[in-house]
Amino acid sequence: MKRRDLLHRLVKSLGVIGFSSLPYGLSHLMMPRQVIAGQMHIPLPGAMSDYNKFTAACIGCGLCGEVCPPRCVKFYKNTEGAKANTPYIDPAERGCTLCGKCMTVCPTEALTETPVREVKMGIAQIDRVACYPWVDRGICGACVSICPLGDAAINFEFGNVYRPVVNTACVGCGLCVEVCPEPSLPIRIVDRSEPTVARHGMGVRRKVYQ
Amino acid sequence: MNWQMHLNKLRWVVLSMVMFMLILLPFLHLYQSYVAAHAYDLLSPAEKLIYDSMELISAPFVSDPETDLNSFKGTSWSGKLFGITLSDPLALLGQITASKHIYWPFVVTALIPILYSLLLGRFYCGWICPATFLYELNDNLGTWLKRAGLPISQRRLDRRIKYMVLLAGMVIGMLSSAVVFAAIYPPAIIGREIYYAIAVGGFGTGMVFFLLTLLFDLLVARRGFCRYICPGGALYALLGRFRVIRIQRNVLSCNDCAKCNTVCQFGLDPWHDDFGQECNNCSACIAICPTEALIFKIKTTDTTYQGAGHLGQEYKKQQGEKKPSPGEL
Repeated sequence: MKRRDLLHRLVKSLGVIGFSSLPYGLSHLMMPRQVIAGQMHIPLPGAMSDYNKFTAACIGCGLCGEVCPPRCVKFYKNTEGAKANTPYIDPAERGCTLCGKCMTVCPTEALTETPVREVKMGIAQIDRVACYPWVDRGICGACVSICPLGDAAINFEFGNVYRPVVNTACVGCGLCVEVCPEPSLPIRIVDRSEPTVARHGMGVRRKVYQ
Repeated sequence: MNWQMHLNKLRWVVLSMVMFMLILLPFLHLYQSYVAAHAYDLLSPAEKLIYDSMELISAPFVSDPETDLNSFKGTSWSGKLFGITLSDPLALLGQITASKHIYWPFVVTALIPILYSLLLGRFYCGWICPATFLYELNDNLGTWLKRAGLPISQRRLDRRIKYMVLLAGMVIGMLSSAVVFAAIYPPAIIGREIYYAIAVGGFGTGMVFFLLTLLFDLLVARRGFCRYICPGGALYALLGRFRVIRIQRNVLSCNDCAKCNTVCQFGLDPWHDDFGQECNNCSACIAICPTEALIFKIKTTDTTYQGAGHLGQEYKKQQGEKKPSPGEL
């Protein structure tokens, strides 16, 4: 009967382990599929919409970085494969001021001169469970006051002066991300097909550039 | 005196100026961004030093540094000189093969270098390329090491390897839709890495590759990367195959000393009239020639071997002449 006893014990302990891991599994299922942790790379203004075409057209000369007044343009390292030496902007560190110098200086068609309001770098998305004013009527408004495009891109929700709402004129320059004082960055730049309010729950996939 | 023997010094001046510009431009870029931000009071002491020194250098030439300095930007891979955009033909080739599409404004920027290569061959390799500056210093280091007793390899490989590299780069670029030349072409790497080191914060991985090519030059073949691997050198050599201006040997004043063969870092054979499309017009052989037998000539083809130099012993033996005694001269 010793073997039978052992089997009982094994089944019981497996049951206990399975039951106790249930909350972890459930929470794992409830989490957004793709967690964008910190890293958020957006294209330069005027970049070709197809990213593969962009890497093919870019010769990696670094001129866009050399003319950028706020020095927001960064470059992928050689270890990044086809992306090597091509530029990107990390708005969490420094946003684009839409001055347009990189578009003017680019020798290839990777960046084409585009009017400021027709630039398509992405769109800002606000996570309402992390933004101060949305969570508990905090006082902030940093993103609204920095926006170079004004009311058409981001403004306050009607009737509540500090809750920011992103509108479709947003071009995704990322200045709002740069100034956002909340460390978890409730505002981020996402692909233009995404909603401007972050969704939560099962099966939510967030699409970012690349 | 032949004025062409001073061209090598002029070439070193040009190479040093290119290198100096590559180091200066990132600092000017930093200065421009400080000016644009009106941030002098917020700068750290080191940044203030950059601001002050760049202001000192640029103040006589510009009235509005924020915009005027934009007419000097970039590197030898693609950059602006006096407001004119110039690009490397290899960048153009890489871009066309990667995107399978010709963007004409970019072609226009590469036209001036293409024209110069058609006229002067691998002129870029010898006179402008910032990597050449470092490779020649590296070669001098090799000479010192040799004198110190360390063996330096002088292997000879097949020159056609670099054309294979050029072809492979085009094919890989086509398949991966990325300009792969930018990652392996030393002048592009040098310009970019200096900019990264000064303005972005630290060398990238390209510098490791460049250091490996320096070691390759020391341990495998003299100037091996330029001669056997560089895809840009291959492209320039092809463009300059029928170049109009080339160094030629004047057989009448040659004395067969063979100093030109020793000094030629590309391992060519000027002594036997063998220049070919590989010659980068560096004019080191002209500078060292004791009898001024080597000069630039306007010709589209190399002359075939003209025989022993007329001032040498070999020629006199062939002519059956007796050696003139010192009294006769």
